[in-house]
Amino acid sequence: MNQVDIQRIVEKVMVELETRVSRQLKENIDEKECEKKFHYTTFDWLTSVPNPKFPEGIDELRKVTPARIGVWRTGTRPLTKTILKLQLDHAAAVDAVSGEVLDSLLEEFGLFTVETCYENKEVYLKRPDKGRVLTEEAVKTIQEKCVKKPQVQIVVSDGLSASAIEANLRDIYPALLDSLKVNGLTQGTPFFVKGGRVACMDHIGEILQPEVLVLLIGERPGLVSANSMSAYMCYRPRKGTVESDRTVVSNIHSGGTPPVEAGAYIGTVLRKMIEQKASGVRLEL
Amino acid sequence: MEGKTIISVGIDIGTSTTKFVVSHLKYAKVSNHFSLPRYEIVERNVVYESPMYSTPLKGKRDEIDLETLVGWLEDQYQKAGVDIRDVKSGAVIITGETATKKNAESILHYLAEKSGDFVVAIAGASLEALLAGKGSGAFSRSKEVKGIIANLDIGGGTANVVLFQRGKVLGTITYHVGGRLIELSQNGEITFISPSIQSWLDSKNYRLYINQKISFTEIQQIVQQMCNDMLDSLTGQQPIRSDDSLIHSTSFQVIPPIDEVMISGGIGRLLEEEAPKTIYDTAIYGDVGPLLAHEVVKAIEKCSLKLIKATQTSRATVIGAGMQSTEISGATIHVASSRLPIRNLPIMMIELDHHQINNRDYVYKQIKQAMMDWKQYIQEDQELPFAICMKGIFHCSYSVLKEIAKILFLLYEKNFPNHSIIVVICEDDIAKAFGQLLVLQSKNKVDIISIDQVIVEQGDYIDIGETINQSMVPVVVKTLAFTKS
Repeated sequence: MNQVDIQRIVEKVMVELETRVSRQLKENIDEKECEKKFHYTTFDWLTSVPNPKFPEGIDELRKVTPARIGVWRTGTRPLTKTILKLQLDHAAAVDAVSGEVLDSLLEEFGLFTVETCYENKEVYLKRPDKGRVLTEEAVKTIQEKCVKKPQVQIVVSDGLSASAIEANLRDIYPALLDSLKVNGLTQGTPFFVKGGRVACMDHIGEILQPEVLVLLIGERPGLVSANSMSAYMCYRPRKGTVESDRTVVSNIHSGGTPPVEAGAYIGTVLRKMIEQKASGVRLEL
Repeated sequence: MEGKTIISVGIDIGTSTTKFVVSHLKYAKVSNHFSLPRYEIVERNVVYESPMYSTPLKGKRDEIDLETLVGWLEDQYQKAGVDIRDVKSGAVIITGETATKKNAESILHYLAEKSGDFVVAIAGASLEALLAGKGSGAFSRSKEVKGIIANLDIGGGTANVVLFQRGKVLGTITYHVGGRLIELSQNGEITFISPSIQSWLDSKNYRLYINQKISFTEIQQIVQQMCNDMLDSLTGQQPIRSDDSLIHSTSFQVIPPIDEVMISGGIGRLLEEEAPKTIYDTAIYGDVGPLLAHEVVKAIEKCSLKLIKATQTSRATVIGAGMQSTEISGATIHVASSRLPIRNLPIMMIELDHHQINNRDYVYKQIKQAMMDWKQYIQEDQELPFAICMKGIFHCSYSVLKEIAKILFLLYEKNFPNHSIIVVICEDDIAKAFGQLLVLQSKNKVDIISIDQVIVEQGDYIDIGETINQSMVPVVVKTLAFTKS
């Protein structure tokens, strides 16, 4: 092949590459356009009473509740839009229960995963007791990997909403770590529990014997939010801990308790628990 | 609801009378056990009211007699059975024409310091109007009705008007309308004409002078004109102009349509008495007060506005100052307790656009600009402590919040190297997170106070009291007098 031939081939390849790249770009753009078309904002879903007699009054009421009020009607029924939104929110709630937390998110925070005896989602829903006990393998892993008797043990669990973890962990977790620093507390080795119920704290408490334990767990999804998380805190959790010994901050999501503020607050609560050697109803906040 | 009580005092040093009240503010947890804690003041009760006391003046009536005033106050504290050390909040307010007396400001601050731990000094016509409107009952009525309600607090020297709608303050306007602007003897001789009404009298061609004998019809006509002019302005028939000699100051360019009116102040109280029919009746207190009271009502009825009886009249302002000036912050905050209380901090605003908050350069530019503007604004007084109000940082992620805290601290250290404290105020529940980020940034080089759920605006001043219940602070936000249009 002489130089001219080579040049020709190079040119050909270049042209071919360019068309391919531009075609791909175009496909990407189309996809994005499509996604945009199916993405609805709160504003798109908004319906309101036409010509209200007291508009400020309706605004005031709507501001204090996320409930679907002042959405107007057709005849004696809600508008189609309202029904569709309700169905969408319901579907999101169902998805949240059946979903799973992405491994990449857990890796981001260096959390390893252990499981409870929940077996699968169906059993998990029917047998809450199984979500309170860790598997034998889990116990072994925790014993191998975790610092024993830490001051603060952080545990994350999907509970009833995997999407609650996906939506809030990035905000609440670093805020929580900083609040430990500010309050002069040290933590052990944090991890993730798949298929956990609130009382799995007690089993973990038996294994690691932390002074205080905080469990960030997905809440039962509702029609207002499928992404709501709770932070359960307990002083020396152990077998037989009663529910009144747990302190909780609930309704943590972007439209409820702000996750960053909740995270910052947890450190103060944990410090007070250690100072007062108590949690739940006996803790003075 | 289990609650604890803060003792609060109010002192109102007015043109003609000085009043003192003691009140109990009961605060309680209003959040449930599953939420972040949130407290509110759930009850405000007056437990002691002083008698009306003639404001002691000396010199050519242009100076307040501090010694006599302090003596009277000490006596009042004793009568009320309150130990000054137990007083945890409240306000001293100098109102009406007294505020222009020679030593008004120093007296205000002296009394505020001496009256209890967190008693703040308040002055300015717009604040006076606001507190009177809260004390008279107009504010709470506005939460129950649909329309706009105006409270006219008319005293000796000024008429302070505030407009409320659905529990919101729409604005204030103050007129040179008061009972003691013209003083009379009971035989009809003019004994005093206030300089502040002179230019209005001139503009209307009323030529009055001291010792002039005036008939009932003449003085009635003048007072009537004064009231009609004020109502014409309030109802928008006369647009607001900066050269209007009856207007003292205003926050309005245009006054929205008013539905209901309440009258408080000394003039409000005089409404309970019979309308004067002779010059002798008029001058019963040595001024035109009784006449003014009844002429205002006539003018209001002429505009077909609904007149509502105030729950408090002459004591509206002092009750407002004692009971309504204090609010409490959110309960998840970060404070360096050793630095409290901290008084009279002017507000520096940093407004961030929510859509650009992820853009580091934009945030840097905005904060830098705000600090530059501030330095220019307070040129002479670089050491003056101030509070930073952060707007638009609510729904942002922790990493963005961290970046903002970093930038804020960096620029603060660079621009205000001599300051040993940073005070931050947020509207939404985010102060603990933001505060801890600033603490970690500052590495304990400066003290951090970060509080939330307090609403402030540019031009406001804030006083922050000592921590209550280890979790929140009492605050008093003072909106400064507005300039004439």
